[in-house]
Order: sequence, then C-alpha cells, then structure tokens
Amino acid sequence: MAANVTVIGPTARVRGRLSGVANLEVLGFVEGEITVDGDVTVDSHGMVGANVHGRRVVVRGAVRGDLVAAEAIVLEEGARVVGDVTAPRIAIAEGAFLRGQIQTADENAPETSSGRAQVVSRPQSSAAVRVSSAPQKERAVVAAAPKPVPKVEGPALTPVNPIRLPSPANNAPAPRRPPPPVVPAMKKLKGQMLKKKER
Amino acid sequence: MASTVIGTGITIEGEITSDDDVVVAGTVRGKLSAKEGITIEQGAIVEADVVGGSLIVGGSLTGNVTASERVDLQSGARVVGNVKAGRVTIADGAQFKGNVDMEV
Repeated sequence: MAANVTVIGPTARVRGRLSGVANLEVLGFVEGEITVDGDVTVDSHGMVGANVHGRRVVVRGAVRGDLVAAEAIVLEEGARVVGDVTAPRIAIAEGAFLRGQIQTADENAPETSSGRAQVVSRPQSSAAVRVSSAPQKERAVVAAAPKPVPKVEGPALTPVNPIRLPSPANNAPAPRRPPPPVVPAMKKLKGQMLKKKER
Repeated sequence: MASTVIGTGITIEGEITSDDDVVVAGTVRGKLSAKEGITIEQGAIVEADVVGGSLIVGGSLTGNVTASERVDLQSGARVVGNVKAGRVTIADGAQFKGNVDMEV
C-alpha cells in the first residue's frame, strides 16, 4: 500500500524533479516539477511550486504552477491555485481560489491518444459543470411549480386534471374549464352553511 | 504511516528535506536529509548524499552517508560511499565499498 503511494510528508521539502508511475500525495512542500502517471493529491497543508502533470489532480492546498491532467482536475474547497489549468474535465468547488486560464480540452495535447478522449469529453465537461450548478436549481423550480397546481385543484376535482394538463399546450380549450366555478360554488355553499348556522 | 514515502515507481531528482521519517522505495538522485529515520527499502535506488538521524539500507545506495545515531546495512543492501555514524552495523550479505567513520 505504502509502496504504491508516494507521500511527501507535512514536514518534507522536495526541490527538483519528481516523476514516475505512481500516485502522489503532497502534504508538504514541493518545488520544481511534478510529472506523474498517476493521481496527484495536494493536501490542504501541501504547497507546490511546480508545474504538475498527472492523470488526475486533486488540489486542496496551494499550487503555484500550471496543472495538466490527462483525465480530470478537481479544485476542492481551500485550494489556492495560481496557474493555468488544463484537463478534459475540470471541477472547481466553492471556496477554491484560482488565478489562471482554464482549458477543459487540451488542443496542444502532448499525447495523441488522449486527444480523442478530450474531444469526446468536451460536452461532458461543460454539461457536468452546468448540471452541478444551474440545472439542478432550475429543475427544482420547474418541479416545484407544477406540483402546487395539482395540489390546489387536485383533491377536489381529480377527473378534471387530465383535461387541464393538455390545455396549457393548446390555449383554446382553456376557457371551457368548468371547474373554476365549482370551487367558488363550494365556498358559497360553505358560506351559506355558515350563514345558516349563524342564523 | 510514515510521514514521507517515495513510492516504487517514483523518481526524484533534486533535494529532499524532512523533519520526520523518510522511506524510499523508488529512486532518488541528489540529496536526501531527514532529522529522523531514513529507510532505503529493498529495490530502491538512491544516488545521493544522505544525512539523517538513523539510516536503514536494504536497497542500493551510492553516496556519502552521515547519520547522527546509526546506520544499518541489511542483507541485500549495496552501498558505495563513505559512512559516518555513531554506530554502524553491516549484515551478512550486504555489499559495501567505502570508508566507515564511527564516532568513538
């Protein structure tokens, strides 16, 4: 386990080139260059003054340098990144700080094999970002809007609802609605009953 | 978990400094220093000057070694360089070429 994961400890400082095929976890300080065929994680206490190349890069700490990932880059809460960020998929969480350019697909991809994947994943990345932020709220609003309508009119007039649902699509049948007078009729009845009771 | 681990597939060319333990299973070229223990595991390649509290070598080490406490060369270790430490042990089967300087 320990052999497959390389850990730069919290008190460790590395100056120079760091390369190889392994997962890397930086809790300390790295200055120079990181080129790893594996996942790179910069912990919240990690400080990296280097260009980072990895398969998947997750940042919770500080990075001064460009980030390039073959699969994805995730800037989590607390991340402080000054540098360009390039990967097929990029996620930036709330609370992450970034100063630099973002490119979700690398046109100057060093690896030709990864180029196809990046092109394919372009819409995925944009969609993923949109889904994560806006559409959920929109869906929530859309979903919330129609629900109250049947709730108000549904219990009293369930058979009328199927007629009403197509009606918004075709505006013509809208005036035919019989139910609206029924509800006030109920109210009137209630009112009459109350009046009778009062009397 | 050791505070710093240089994994099997990793190569570091440069300088590593740590206040805690360092375990090397990969390749290190340059300089390696830790205030606590340094372990160079079997299969690891270190071409660097090593300075640490104590040093355990099971892999290949080329460079001068300075340890404030002790140096243990395990069986299978291959060391080329001068060793300076309070105590030095060399296990049967360890290859060693260089000077030993024990503080008497």
